[in-house]
Amino acid sequence: MKLAIRDLSKVFVTGTGEKVPALEGINLMVEDEEFLCILGPSGCGKTTLLRIIAGLDTPTTGSIQVDGEALSAPSRRIAMIFQEYSLFPWRTVLDNVAFGLEVQGKGREDRLGVAREYLDLVGLASFEKNLPYELSGGMRQRVAVARALATEPRALLMDEPFGALDAQTRNLMQTELQEIWRKTRKTILFVTHSVDEAVFLADRIVVLTERPGRIREIVPVTKCAHPRDRTCRDFVEIRRHVLDLISGGSAD
Amino acid sequence: MKGMRLLLFGCLAVLLIAAGCTTTQQATGDVGILDAKTSGAMPTLLATKQIDGYIAWQPYVEVAPVAHIGKVITYSGSLPPDDRWKNHPCCVLAASTDLMDRNPALVDAMGAVTILATRYVTDHPAESADIVADWLAGKGNFTYGNITVSSVEVLNRAFPTVKFVNEPSDAWMNGQVEFIYALRELKTLTGKLANTSDAESKAILFDTGPYNRANAMIGTKKFTAPPAEANPIGVGYLLSDHDASLFVAVKKWQYFNDTYGIALKPRDPTASKPDVADLLVNGKKVAEVKLIPGSAGPQLMQLAATNAIQFAFVGNPPTITAIDKGTSVKILMALNTEGSGVVVVTDSPATDWNSFVQWAKERSAAGNPIKMAVPGKGSIQDIMLRYALEESGLSIKEVQV
Amino acid sequence: MRRPLGIILPILLLIVWEIAAQSINNQFILPRLETVVPVLLAPTVDILGTGSLVHNALVSLERVGAGFLVALAIAIPLGVGMGWSRRLDAFMDTTIQLFRPIPPLAWGPLAIAWFSVGINSMVFIIFLGAFFPVLLNTIDGVRSIKRTWVEVAQTLGASERQVLAKVVLPGALPTIWTGLRVGFGIAWMCVIAAEWLPGTTSGLGYLTLYAYNFGQMHYIIAGMITIGIIGIAFDFLFRSVEDRWFCWRGLER
Repeated sequence: MKLAIRDLSKVFVTGTGEKVPALEGINLMVEDEEFLCILGPSGCGKTTLLRIIAGLDTPTTGSIQVDGEALSAPSRRIAMIFQEYSLFPWRTVLDNVAFGLEVQGKGREDRLGVAREYLDLVGLASFEKNLPYELSGGMRQRVAVARALATEPRALLMDEPFGALDAQTRNLMQTELQEIWRKTRKTILFVTHSVDEAVFLADRIVVLTERPGRIREIVPVTKCAHPRDRTCRDFVEIRRHVLDLISGGSAD
Repeated sequence: MKGMRLLLFGCLAVLLIAAGCTTTQQATGDVGILDAKTSGAMPTLLATKQIDGYIAWQPYVEVAPVAHIGKVITYSGSLPPDDRWKNHPCCVLAASTDLMDRNPALVDAMGAVTILATRYVTDHPAESADIVADWLAGKGNFTYGNITVSSVEVLNRAFPTVKFVNEPSDAWMNGQVEFIYALRELKTLTGKLANTSDAESKAILFDTGPYNRANAMIGTKKFTAPPAEANPIGVGYLLSDHDASLFVAVKKWQYFNDTYGIALKPRDPTASKPDVADLLVNGKKVAEVKLIPGSAGPQLMQLAATNAIQFAFVGNPPTITAIDKGTSVKILMALNTEGSGVVVVTDSPATDWNSFVQWAKERSAAGNPIKMAVPGKGSIQDIMLRYALEESGLSIKEVQV
Repeated sequence: MRRPLGIILPILLLIVWEIAAQSINNQFILPRLETVVPVLLAPTVDILGTGSLVHNALVSLERVGAGFLVALAIAIPLGVGMGWSRRLDAFMDTTIQLFRPIPPLAWGPLAIAWFSVGINSMVFIIFLGAFFPVLLNTIDGVRSIKRTWVEVAQTLGASERQVLAKVVLPGALPTIWTGLRVGFGIAWMCVIAAEWLPGTTSGLGYLTLYAYNFGQMHYIIAGMITIGIIGIAFDFLFRSVEDRWFCWRGLER
């Protein structure tokens, strides 16, 4: 799925009438099957940008086109994975994964069959009857990924999905996500404030400035081959460069 | 000189104050009157020493001696002033003017049932007492501490003190007018009956047409079948043996049906206290009748005002008050006269009215006036008690519990 | 019922009761245990012509059930609407807050005038008793829905109706259920008091008033104990469902 973002900006108006600019002049082209990370300090508008692409918010100016068509509302072509409260706690793991298909009106046998496939893909087939509260944070996020994939969207949006997990689980999840991406070849937009995570996962990293968020630089990470080694020289160098971009932001 | 004057003034002042004190202190005696809203609560109040006595309608008078919590010192017909309350009106049959206009034959039929039942009650007191015991208490037992009595026994004791009559005679109507005067004094009548002459009052209150026609029908044993009523008719009544004619009419329906062809047949004949019956005339159903108990007259009159009931077996002062305020009912006939009594605690020195008055005066002088309960402000019992107390030189204080 | 510890106090109370009743020695103030217990042990025996304890209990339950269901039918949809739509909430809220403090019993005379004596007026009063807890808990439950759940559903292509049915309602259900439990408890209290209105001829509340009229305190206390037992039984039922179906509540992340 190709994404064309042109001259996008977002200004929030508070209850008292105050205008808060969040994003300014975002121009971005996302390629098909690309893994794109959006990186920036807290408050830079990266989540806002993702939500606008998801159709949960509207831009103040500018446009988004998905495969040539304008985007205005949530669409089945784009699935989103959130950082917290992503699963429906009253539904079993399997019913959670099957939710998107249920909403589409698929029959019970069909949708549970598909759900099982994707649950297997994320390695949690034996947990289908459990309730979310019985799962660890990492497992829940995996189920969320399975659910998002089950409807076979053309793109996945991920808003700091591993932010609430501990460091070890986080690393594991990043590796798993890479595997899944390799297998399914979806376009992925991944928001994070962790430089490590961005360099590990992305084809390109979009570095945003502090609020109001503008694109500072787009850093390609193609020098490092997959599977990525966090200790190889190229990795370290790109990482340093990105860190510089982030920390030197105030001088802009 | 100035000192002497001051002293004189001082003495005068003290004397005046002393005189003032003695004049505010009643030379006769105070009695506290407490509104218990209904007779049923009184035995409990008496037994828990919250009152010293009460005046109530039967069978709550007999309950006291049977439960050994009090004694009867007089029945209402004997209250002073002499002969004033003999045969005093008590409960009446009232009907909504709306129904009287719309279906007069039905009202006549209901009147006939009542008259027939009242005659039966007078002719068969033991059996009727039994029926009332069944209706009020399922013929069950009353337990008071270690004593258990059958409700039948209580009702049997109570029955002779009630006189069951229907005739709306002149004497009876005059007795009603007495109550109007009393209610005017109590400032309860401020509407239609506030300033009417006796004749006007009677015209507003009574309609003896149904009674006369019903009597005639009974005489000829021919009953006019009224047009059937589409909607159920509500009949309100009190939980007292004063309404015995209603209970007997329902329970002995078979007898009335066989003998006269007119009856109030209960839907569930096995129930102690049926709540639905069919009015049959000449063997055919003319109305569904809902039998609705109330705890006191004013409550029943409220139901009448909102058209929830079209007939009421109820006390006369609440009816008079309701008519005064605009409720569209008329009194058709009497149900009973007398049938109330005055009860005091067992250890009181009173044994009759005179010793009761003596006791009241002594208690008042000692600074601890007695408290008597009445079943509602403006009720028959309340009015009779007040008059009797005042006649005996006692004055009344309203008391809250 | 939950733990054996809970039984200790009632047993202690029974002992205190018997001692007190003996020393007071006035059955109008406190009847002895041995006059009350036989009544409870013979719940199918007629009491003063009003029917047995069982019969009256069933009558009261029937009334509560009817009023409760009416309350649910109105309060839940309205609550979902008010929780979901700010506009509807702004429209309705003042009116609701105006009526809420009025005790259901205060509506008694009006209820009789509008709905006539009998089950209709009682259902109205019971409805009023159960309505507000259910409504307020439903609104609360809907408002406590995590926004993320709704957004997940939206991004997976759910229509607003589907969001309401598949996310809002199930998500709010534990809180709504609490509203049901509280509402039922209040409705149960209301039916007892509603049965003191004129025209009633059956029910546990009616039985207690009737017994009072004849000073039969032991029937009153037996009636009260029955009322309490039924109340706790239903509370237990509601809680069991809570434990089984809503164990996820409070643990969602």
